[in-house]
Amino acid sequence: MELHILEHRVRVLSVARPGLWLYTHPLIKLLFLPHRSRCKFFSLTETPEDYTLMVDEEGFKELPPSEFLQVAEATWLVLNVSSHSGAAVQAAGVTKIARSVIAPLAEHHVSVLMLSTYQTDFILVREQDLSVVIHTLAQEFDIYREVGGEPVPVTRDDSSNGFPRTQHGLSPTVHPIQSPQNRFCVLTLDPETLPAIATTLIDVLFYSHRFPSDLLLTSSSGELWRMVRIGGQPLGFDECGIVAQIAGPLAAADISAYYISTFNFDHALVDMKHREVKCLAQCHTAGQCGTRIPKEG
Amino acid sequence: MSGTKPDILWAPHQVDRFVVCDSELSLYHVESTVNSELKAGSLRLSEDSAATLLSINSDTPYMKCVAWYLNYDPECLLAVGQANGRVVLTSLGQDHNSKFKDLIGKEFVPKHARQCNTLAWNPLDSNWLAAGLDKHRADFSVLIWDICSKYTPDIVPMEKVKLSAGETETTLLVTKPLYELGQNDACLSLCWLPRDQKLLLAGMHRNLAIFDLRNTSQKMFVNTKAVQGVTVDPYFHDRVASFYEGQVAIWDLRKFEKPVLTLTEQPKPLTKVAWCPTRTGLLATLTRDSNIIRLYDMQHTPTPIGDETEPTIIERSVQPCDNYIASFAWHPTSQNRMIVVTPNRTMSDFTVFERISLAWSPITSLMWACGRHLYECTEEENDNSLEKDIATKMRLRALSRYGLDTEQVWRNHILAGNEDPQLKSLWYTLHFMKQYTEDMDQKSPGNKGSLVYAGIKSIVKSSLGMVESSRHNWSGLDKQSDIQNLNEERILALQLCGWIKKGTDVDVGPFLNSLVQEGEWERAAAVALFNLDIRRAIQILNEGASSEKGDLNLNVVAMALSGYTDEKNSLWREMCSTLRLQLNNPYLCVMFAFLTSETGSYDGVLYENKVAVRDRVAFACKFLSDTQGSPLDVLKDERVQYWIENYRNLLDAWRFWHKRAEFDIHRSKLDPSSKPLAQVFVSCNFCGKSISYSCSTVPHQGRGFSQYGVSGSPTKSKVTSCPGCRKPLPRCALCLINMGTPVSSCPGGTKSDEKVDLSKDKKLAQFNNWFTWCHNCRHGGHAGHMLSWFRDHAECPVSACTCKCMQLDTTGNLVPAEAVQP
Repeated sequence: MELHILEHRVRVLSVARPGLWLYTHPLIKLLFLPHRSRCKFFSLTETPEDYTLMVDEEGFKELPPSEFLQVAEATWLVLNVSSHSGAAVQAAGVTKIARSVIAPLAEHHVSVLMLSTYQTDFILVREQDLSVVIHTLAQEFDIYREVGGEPVPVTRDDSSNGFPRTQHGLSPTVHPIQSPQNRFCVLTLDPETLPAIATTLIDVLFYSHRFPSDLLLTSSSGELWRMVRIGGQPLGFDECGIVAQIAGPLAAADISAYYISTFNFDHALVDMKHREVKCLAQCHTAGQCGTRIPKEG
Repeated sequence: MSGTKPDILWAPHQVDRFVVCDSELSLYHVESTVNSELKAGSLRLSEDSAATLLSINSDTPYMKCVAWYLNYDPECLLAVGQANGRVVLTSLGQDHNSKFKDLIGKEFVPKHARQCNTLAWNPLDSNWLAAGLDKHRADFSVLIWDICSKYTPDIVPMEKVKLSAGETETTLLVTKPLYELGQNDACLSLCWLPRDQKLLLAGMHRNLAIFDLRNTSQKMFVNTKAVQGVTVDPYFHDRVASFYEGQVAIWDLRKFEKPVLTLTEQPKPLTKVAWCPTRTGLLATLTRDSNIIRLYDMQHTPTPIGDETEPTIIERSVQPCDNYIASFAWHPTSQNRMIVVTPNRTMSDFTVFERISLAWSPITSLMWACGRHLYECTEEENDNSLEKDIATKMRLRALSRYGLDTEQVWRNHILAGNEDPQLKSLWYTLHFMKQYTEDMDQKSPGNKGSLVYAGIKSIVKSSLGMVESSRHNWSGLDKQSDIQNLNEERILALQLCGWIKKGTDVDVGPFLNSLVQEGEWERAAAVALFNLDIRRAIQILNEGASSEKGDLNLNVVAMALSGYTDEKNSLWREMCSTLRLQLNNPYLCVMFAFLTSETGSYDGVLYENKVAVRDRVAFACKFLSDTQGSPLDVLKDERVQYWIENYRNLLDAWRFWHKRAEFDIHRSKLDPSSKPLAQVFVSCNFCGKSISYSCSTVPHQGRGFSQYGVSGSPTKSKVTSCPGCRKPLPRCALCLINMGTPVSSCPGGTKSDEKVDLSKDKKLAQFNNWFTWCHNCRHGGHAGHMLSWFRDHAECPVSACTCKCMQLDTTGNLVPAEAVQP
């Protein structure tokens, strides 16, 4: 298995809902006119509370500071796992890497953010944790750092600084989870059709809440997903083991999941055909359910 | 595609049809318009072809890629890859074959929708279709479908809900691929490897991967960015091209770690790369926003395995039209033919011309190669045109030993064909010069002899003191002209020119008589006139007019001559100076030029090129005064050396080796410094000294050698040990006797040997004793033995040596041209 450390240096920020008007212009530019800026990594997640942005430093420059913008202190690096083994793995996403990436990082007290997409899963780690990450994962992975688009192998030797940290078990904190009843589709889009549906997307993102049904691509089996939100209070960025807490049991049950971290909370999307909510609920007996219903997407 | 850029494909079997695909598929038929007008509605493709639209298929929206079914039947079946990853089988035109009706409209659906990037039909199992898709986090990106597999009806109802309303119930959906490969990866390009039905080469997200369907858990891959447009060279199945942005990488699958070479990077990103299917090693590439197609000829590429050297590539470009090119397609069978389509769907059909390589043979024929054709240009059998060509002339002359008669030098002009008066003049001059040299050497073996060869100029210059001119009376005229006093040197010069005979007599009379006898009246008259004897000149002309072969007009000339007047402003003078230019005979012309010239300026005579040089030189000796200068050795002149070397090379090129050798022999007699140095030495294995070094009792200067091997004399050839260290010489590989012993008899002497006459046999026998050896394996022996061995064998006579000695000798099989020529 290969672990690629991508070139992007990512900032994580939150735009408060009332301040959206201030950011509509740069957001549209980053979303629809990627060639107009040098931004190469951009993610926008809407939750009932806020809009979470994960953008690289080039994209970050496009966003004017204001009272509505909250920025996490750290700079994050993006990790991506790719396997060249031809062996078929049924479960995918965060489940697949739970044991190999998420759990070891949690054990070494590395806080991670997850960002699942239709194509792949990104793991964001703080830049200052990189040496620990490399040291932790070097046994299991061939690690490459991308420089100028070319993967450069990372040897374990130059990553020993800052190690070892004291090892702990998983985080003792068990966060409450909520799982609203609405169902989610995970979709993708042919980039060439982007201009054609730009107005629709702008409408959906910023003005109304209806999504067109015919332009987006999804699984042929029509799978639907249910969301699980992790955290009652904003989780912050320092606590580690949150993803592991969720991914571990899912991996044990071999359940596919998407996992999206936002500024305040984490969200897991799990295949509806598995009774994953139950499964999670069993793990989180202390958790409270359904305090707020996330926005329909 | 997808509405923006059209792509174009030739039908694999119906070679006059092609498809243009953008938002829809349009089938065209190509027709020749050589003998007919352009039909209404036809599109012109080239000067002599046009395309007619046969049908349009717009059943498949969101097209991303198209691949034409490779089997003969059904002909117009196409696979279309869509933006949602589905692959649809569709057809163009009417295929009434019910056997395949089921196939049309069949859809192959991946588990997770995403763009289909590429399609490839298996060339060996025509039912296998590979599709390359974008990445999905949990799904595979290479799906191999069997188009004849049964569809799975259970999934249809659910699909219908999702599909657009236009879909009918008859839609057949297949959701179970034969093979799934490349999980959690993107596939950008695909091609099947012709080596095996189950080998698939795929350009994945960051690597090129070879999937072996016999064992899908394993794959061979190499990390690279050049993952676009993988394509196998149809003539060299281990050679693959792929590209990334502006750079094409060429791979050898046997040495897959890195590209064997990368082509020069283009400033704009590439859009298509394709090997020519009708010509080996020709790769066409197209970049975005470009109206040219770049061609890379890897025809002469040595097999890149083993050594690291980059093969040589010839880069060319063709511009089929003025507009930007959207896509192109090689014709599957017509050699080097290609069709291109522009973004606004204009098309152009053209043939890439092969580079023409041209070669002159050393004899006059001309050859050129273009594509698979070899053209030979032969001259028409027209004697006149052949005569005119200097190369032909030189060759014929060389063949008849022209220039090699060093005894009777004048005979050389007869060897040249006895047709050219200039040559005759030249060789007689040389003949005279030779004679005078010999005479002078007899008289006084001094330096004068060599002076003769240094030229008239040197001879005249060699005289001590200036020559004074004096006025001489014209015979038969009341006139005087300035004539140089003839000193010894000038007489010699005139003698060399042939005007006066050997001896002390300075009378030109005998020369005039000989000219008259040969019918050269004009020349005789001119010489007479230059000797101030106008009466004799007129008399000669009259003689000429009255003789059988002569021209009656000579009488007229004689009349004109007789009217000569010394008066400066006379009518005679005026008319003669202008009308003389109309005379055809150069000698008649110079006569009037002489008479009408101002005293001391004889340019009209001296620069008349048609008059023989020696006559002009003789004239100059009589009328011109000395000027300063210094004699030069002609042989030392760079130009002369250059001429000699080139003539020798020319003889070699004509394979007139014997003639060249003869030339060298004569040359070395005259100029000992031109003797070639020994180029090959036989050195003793033990002491390293040359074995011929002490063969000769006379000490040579420096490291000179008479010849390598054993030269001629049978007494010397009995040396069988190194004269330096007394160790034995190597043995002949055939007779196993030490070298140095004369060849007893030719082993396996052939019948042809018996026919050879004795003198030739003797010469051959000497050569038979020579050392010969192969420069590659170092085995050898007596030349005679080796020759007879290689008459029947290609391999070295030493057992266990597999050296193909004879084949390594490029000139060994050539026959001297003299032997072939009559």
